Amino acid sequence: MNVKSLFWFYFGFVFVGFASSLWSLLTSVLTVMPMPLPYWLLYTPGNIVTAGVVVVALLLVLYAYLGVALVLGKLLRGLVPIIMVIAFTIGITLLLVRQAIPALIILVIAYVMLIGTYIVITSVTTSRTSKALWGVATIILALMPLILIRGGLAVINYIKYMALVEQATAIMASAIEAWRLGTHNP
Amino acid sequence: MEKRLKPIWITPLVIALAVASMVVLVVDGVGASPSLIASIHIGGFGEVDYYASQPMPNVPPGLLVRVYLINGSVIEPVDAFIDVYANAPNGIVHVSMGYSTTLIVPFSNVNWQYVINKWVLLGLLGVSSSEYETSMLIFITYVRGNESWILPLVIPYNVAWAIKNSRYIVVNAFINVNSIKPSEVIPAMPGTTAVNLQLPSNHSDYTTYNCDLSAPKPPPETAFKPEITCLGFNGSLPATWVTLSNGVIQNDEGLQFELNIYFSGTINWDAMAAGYGDIGISYSAPENWILSSPTYTIGSQITQPGSVYWYYENATWAIVNYTVWFVSSSMGTYHLGNATVFEVLYVPPNDHYIGMVLDYGNGSVSLLYYLASKHYLEYPASIVNYAAFVYTGQEYLYQCNGPVTNASTTSGTAYAITLGGVNTAYSLSLAELGTGLGGLALGISSMLITPSTSSSVTSTYIEFFNVKTGTNLYISVIDASKTYGLPTFGFILNATSYYGNPTTYTCKYGKVAQIG
Repeated sequence: MNVKSLFWFYFGFVFVGFASSLWSLLTSVLTVMPMPLPYWLLYTPGNIVTAGVVVVALLLVLYAYLGVALVLGKLLRGLVPIIMVIAFTIGITLLLVRQAIPALIILVIAYVMLIGTYIVITSVTTSRTSKALWGVATIILALMPLILIRGGLAVINYIKYMALVEQATAIMASAIEAWRLGTHNP
Repeated sequence: MEKRLKPIWITPLVIALAVASMVVLVVDGVGASPSLIASIHIGGFGEVDYYASQPMPNVPPGLLVRVYLINGSVIEPVDAFIDVYANAPNGIVHVSMGYSTTLIVPFSNVNWQYVINKWVLLGLLGVSSSEYETSMLIFITYVRGNESWILPLVIPYNVAWAIKNSRYIVVNAFINVNSIKPSEVIPAMPGTTAVNLQLPSNHSDYTTYNCDLSAPKPPPETAFKPEITCLGFNGSLPATWVTLSNGVIQNDEGLQFELNIYFSGTINWDAMAAGYGDIGISYSAPENWILSSPTYTIGSQITQPGSVYWYYENATWAIVNYTVWFVSSSMGTYHLGNATVFEVLYVPPNDHYIGMVLDYGNGSVSLLYYLASKHYLEYPASIVNYAAFVYTGQEYLYQCNGPVTNASTTSGTAYAITLGGVNTAYSLSLAELGTGLGGLALGISSMLITPSTSSSVTSTYIEFFNVKTGTNLYISVIDASKTYGLPTFGFILNATSYYGNPTTYTCKYGKVAQIG
């Protein structure tokens, strides 16, 4: 398959991850400074939710691109990210129309498919380092809900750190893969 | 050789972004993203966020007030006069003030501790301090040219947080100069335009007192001089009521009714400000009652126009008038404006303190009507539903916003109307609203759930018996939470037309049922 077409997926993944983490850091620091700020830079829960929605939307577009690229490259496992994107979209739509129970079921399926997507990415990466990092991110992603169910809200801070590590690992893995795809011709 | 898809600099950029992301994530992680517990919106002009861990550097546990000016699409911090008061069980206490973009008030503030001690002393009788859900009262004054804006905000908090130093309360106040009406800054002498609270002199169910309590430490000297007039009320606080007009007393002799109340869970009392409406929850308490009134018969038990009401005994509530002056040795004295807030300070937490009384013009319900219509708050706009019995050759039952249902009983057909105004207003399903039936002949019932009490059931019913040919009854249902901050509904009965003679009102169903 034409793995090179995945370069833009990895690039987008790094870019979105960087932009969202920088935004959250900047707003929390800038909001305590006595300086004029546009509304979207204010560190308020409403803005954090909006930023989260934008990040999720961008990531879904990226995963859809990944899935389509894999399917076009004759790799049927590309259907996994496509199903995941569809499930997330349906789940979030159901949440918006206040159908909490069906939304929860669909979102659980979507989360399982997200873990599947990580496995797919792990399988198509070309560098060994990147493969290992995606593998670690997959394991953390799969462990987080289990730990949350076992420990309840008492472990929420650990979950936050796990999410941070997972995000860092995935970004690093994407960067290494983008580097490899950008400089080597496999 | 493949065609080059991307510019040469893109790979180093990806690496740079990834490394930068690592740095940012580590900084984020070390700062441990603050844990937001709850977030409340107050109208379009305030937001309160509660954190269990420090949300920003150098902020102690307690209150942080930040003031922003909204001007078009840009929002920016702005200097304003921030004045903070704490609600005590029977009054308000000045806590802190300053002229800045932010004001930090730690729980350790001497005046705040003074108020916390008042709550702790109240709780010595066996109530845990964590059960006191009281509030702070904040006024923010922004002056630009010869115009001023005064924002009143009420910030709920739990007394135990202050004792344990366990919460960070961040208040964002938004002064939208395009949507909030300004006051005019006028030269004046202090005290010359202070509001005089006029009250009816004949009252029996409550006592009035000055509720501006003096704290241990006087506020610092500034050019801004706030003046507080706090009129306290101690006694019966209406929970739900039915008001009968003179026409009903004359026309509907023999008509019987019962007023029922079903409250379960945490009840919130919202503070109301003239010109702003709901400005936050001033007090919350767990309540649990399922009570039916005796059957009242018009003409025998009730012989003159007035109200019958369920009330909370030994509650305290207040009308706070806030006036700000600017005093400068070179420029003279200016009146910047004023704000008036109606808030509940304290309600006993259990069901032993409830009673039912008649009010022929000297009780708490009369006072509420008086204050709402004469002084501070808009009132007829909050009527949420109508229903009527009218004799027009045959007898009909009109209802406005909900379906008419009927049920067979041993004594004939009983009709029940779900007064569905709340259904429309708050998007509740009919299953949630429910229906109550009068056992004998006819029940008009409403099961009304207020929006702010999600974990609670708050409902009031009025049921009618002995409805017969010649009965003329127009029933108006008032959503009192929109006028007084009480989480319930009042009923006004008239004989010839609905309350306030509305020329138009929207009915979702407009159904008419023949009952004669």
